[in-house]
Amino acid sequence: MSAFRAALEGLRRVARAPALIGGVWVLTLAISMPLAIVMRGMLAEHLGRSLAADASMSGVNYEWMQEFASQAAGVGVTFRPTIIGFGAVLDNMSAFVDATARPAVIVAAAAAYILVWLFLAGGIIDRLARDRPSRAHGFFAACGVFFFRFLRLALAQGIVYGFLFGPMHRWLLDRLYPRMIHEVTVERTAFFARSMLYLVFGILVAACAIVFDYAKVRAVVEDRRSMLGAINAAVGFIRRNYGAAVSLFAIDVLLFAAIVALYALLAPGPGRTTATILISVAIGQLYVLARLCVKLAFWGAEAALFQSRLAHAGYTARPEPVWPDSPAAETI
Amino acid sequence: MRHACIGIPSFLILAATAAAQPATTGALDSPRSPRNASYTITARLDPASRAITGSEVITWRNITAKPATELQLHLYWNAWKNTRSTYMRESALGGGGGDGGRAPNEWARIDVSSVSVAGVDRTASRRFIAPDDDNAEDETVMAVPLANPIAPGATTEIRVAWSAHVPRTFARTGAVGDFFFIAQWFPKLGVLQDEGWNCHQFHAGTEFFSDYGVYDVSLTVPSGWIVGATGVERDRRDAGREAVHRFYQEDVHDFVWTTSPDYLERRARFEHATLPPVEMRLLLQPEHERQAERHFDATRTTLKYYGEWYGPYPYGHITIVDPAFQSDAGGMEYPTLFTAGTRWLAPARVTTPEGVTVHEAGHQFWYGIVGNNEFEDAWMDEGFNTFSTARAIAQVYDPNYLALRYFGGFVPWVFKDIALDRETQGNRLAGYRRDAKSDAQSTPSFRYFPSTGGSITYNKTALWLNTMERWLGWPTLQRIMAAHFERWQFKHPKPQDFFAVANAVSGRDLTPFFDQVYRSSNVFDYAVDDLKSVREGDRYHTTVVVRRYGEARWPDFVKVVVDFKNGSRALELERWNEDDRWKEYVYDRPVQALSAQVDPDRVLLLDVNYTNNSVTLEPKGPRAATKWSLAWMIWLQDALLSWAALV
Repeated sequence: MSAFRAALEGLRRVARAPALIGGVWVLTLAISMPLAIVMRGMLAEHLGRSLAADASMSGVNYEWMQEFASQAAGVGVTFRPTIIGFGAVLDNMSAFVDATARPAVIVAAAAAYILVWLFLAGGIIDRLARDRPSRAHGFFAACGVFFFRFLRLALAQGIVYGFLFGPMHRWLLDRLYPRMIHEVTVERTAFFARSMLYLVFGILVAACAIVFDYAKVRAVVEDRRSMLGAINAAVGFIRRNYGAAVSLFAIDVLLFAAIVALYALLAPGPGRTTATILISVAIGQLYVLARLCVKLAFWGAEAALFQSRLAHAGYTARPEPVWPDSPAAETI
Repeated sequence: MRHACIGIPSFLILAATAAAQPATTGALDSPRSPRNASYTITARLDPASRAITGSEVITWRNITAKPATELQLHLYWNAWKNTRSTYMRESALGGGGGDGGRAPNEWARIDVSSVSVAGVDRTASRRFIAPDDDNAEDETVMAVPLANPIAPGATTEIRVAWSAHVPRTFARTGAVGDFFFIAQWFPKLGVLQDEGWNCHQFHAGTEFFSDYGVYDVSLTVPSGWIVGATGVERDRRDAGREAVHRFYQEDVHDFVWTTSPDYLERRARFEHATLPPVEMRLLLQPEHERQAERHFDATRTTLKYYGEWYGPYPYGHITIVDPAFQSDAGGMEYPTLFTAGTRWLAPARVTTPEGVTVHEAGHQFWYGIVGNNEFEDAWMDEGFNTFSTARAIAQVYDPNYLALRYFGGFVPWVFKDIALDRETQGNRLAGYRRDAKSDAQSTPSFRYFPSTGGSITYNKTALWLNTMERWLGWPTLQRIMAAHFERWQFKHPKPQDFFAVANAVSGRDLTPFFDQVYRSSNVFDYAVDDLKSVREGDRYHTTVVVRRYGEARWPDFVKVVVDFKNGSRALELERWNEDDRWKEYVYDRPVQALSAQVDPDRVLLLDVNYTNNSVTLEPKGPRAATKWSLAWMIWLQDALLSWAALV
């Protein structure tokens, strides 16, 4: 199977698993909703019975936003103009590549979100690898089986990503970049230099992400218990299928870029009437849904690629898991 | 009527005379200033070693009523000699970057090798003094005791030779790559006043002060390099691998220059029915070539509106410098030359470069022509100019939008939902709100806390001027500022001079207002604390409680309006005494109240919390909060997804 066909296969498998898509969307909503409710409380308290709310309701009351920001604490400090429309995406992408610190409450939410993804990853990959419904008990049994294995994997991921986003990022962008542009007097030259460093950083992160992704895929499909073994096996698979693995990742990145570009075109402001507010929220949630689909489709595609290249014909995944464990790989 | 006599007629006369002048020689038809500190300077730049060697002849006249027994000269570049100077200590106090990991050759220095007064060598007697803080390690002011006092009205000749090292830019001065911006670079006399020398050390938060004179400066730079400077280039001679550029300007109080082989040079002209023409010279970075017209447009906007509002620009020429990336030289004013500042990616309908261009061009009026003491009363130029910038921008560049920059600050994104308004964003209310209590404006500017002084200098002044505009009307404020401009051009006004003009022109005693905004750090915060409207029989009993949470007190009538559901309105105008912290208004009407507002027209732009200025019985706060929290949630979800990409 070529990378392109694997990508299509990934999309097809995700399309056949609407409950999975709905589930991760609900998860994303469930993690973000409590903080949104807290934020709503802060905003409502600050607006009180003021007429400033009328202007805030019928558009953007920037003056009120600044006034709110001047007294905001905790999660409130993140309520800034950048949350509006596509600015939100740019803000997060920029913070990601610039390793910008976020308030503790956002970091905590992200940690919780990642933890839940770690729990669900086994079930999701299992479902996508089987390409047939595993039902709730099968899904969550797989989640349970792989959760602790993926926690061990997460330890390795934490060390690697901690190094990349910590010392490596600081070295690239806080030390090397200033040295590179020390006597540069042309902004676009500096931007080019910074873009190249972003690229280097992105390649390093992507390389690690690919390895960890295939480690998860191999762990699930081959019922691997050793995560170091899974990483080793993933590296072996990628080395032997370098072109396909990299191409598949590139396709995934392009898909992601296409969704971001589309959102850049469509992302509305916050809305002025009830209808436009609802449309704005709906488009925002469609964007979130599309990003989730890309993430799932990539896992599906990686599983399909692995299954087509390494596993023998018909080999799909480990046997139907039964909590707490399942002993052996499924064979024909 | 008196104000009209002070302002408008003389303004028109000045316009007419200025229009008749030769435009581009650096000479003015007749002296506008006392010209008591004139400089003839010769300097040579060695770009490789980043060294300047120079000599100057200062022709100085004592215009005070007392004899001068010593001279005091600024040696600004010694502020960047080490971390122990007052400038660097204040920078650190304000959270500045300290030495920024500079290499030893990226620091500055200026060494005077000889100084003579009236032919008498005084080199050995020179010493450093620190009049502001007694910092023995600060070498930014040099005192030279005189062998013979200089009598009032007498003129003397001072000869100084020096060498200096150009730093990597500090405070918009220095070099990066082949870009050189050379400001505050020569030994420069302080200002002798009847009270003595006004020659402050270089401070982190303030700028400069000096007397007017004639500058005749010859600069030697590598051949082929473009030079921009204060004044007009009168002569250029090639001398082998170097070229000597001679610049000349009358009636200015400083001289700055820049050189680089990379500049693109563009020229345009400002023309106006009643204002004198101005030749504009733009030195542009090649990567900004397509933004040339934006720079010219913004400069024209300034010359037009400032000229119409305050008085004409008399010099006939102006040089706009677009500084190199990383030079940190942008956004600074000098006589007849200013630095703008733009970005490679500069979207339309965003005021980069227009905002900074209008502001710095505007300093030609508030700083260049009206030469207040920026060490002590920086608000008199920065604040006046911030107000004027916002007003001029609103005339031409409305709407303009908020843009934020991402990815290391390189990539802009325009928020078309946020049109910036003149009154709050243009006058920078957010910064003032944050720092409102940090200093009283009447404190000498160089004693403001370094990191918050700007909010008091720029923002607060702009806000109270705009408040005056809304309170007294633009025609009155315009006459006040035009009268101040006319009366104090080419002189050194002090705060009380402006207040006197304001009282005279407005025809009212504005002292209580200035007591609040200038002599105090108190903040304004009026609020509608409560609104109740309950049915009692066939009528509604409505009570409104208005409070003054801030310590500052509006000196005129405080306006309160109460709107009722049948469209009727109750208007209250009441003066609040010093002890008044709240007022109650009671109405018995057949209809229920809808809302109450204090200062509904937002006259008092200094009110730091306008959200609490109103209360409605049909609040939309919960709905607005829902709307915005849902928008925020999408940002949060996107953030979560970004990090979950690593799982």
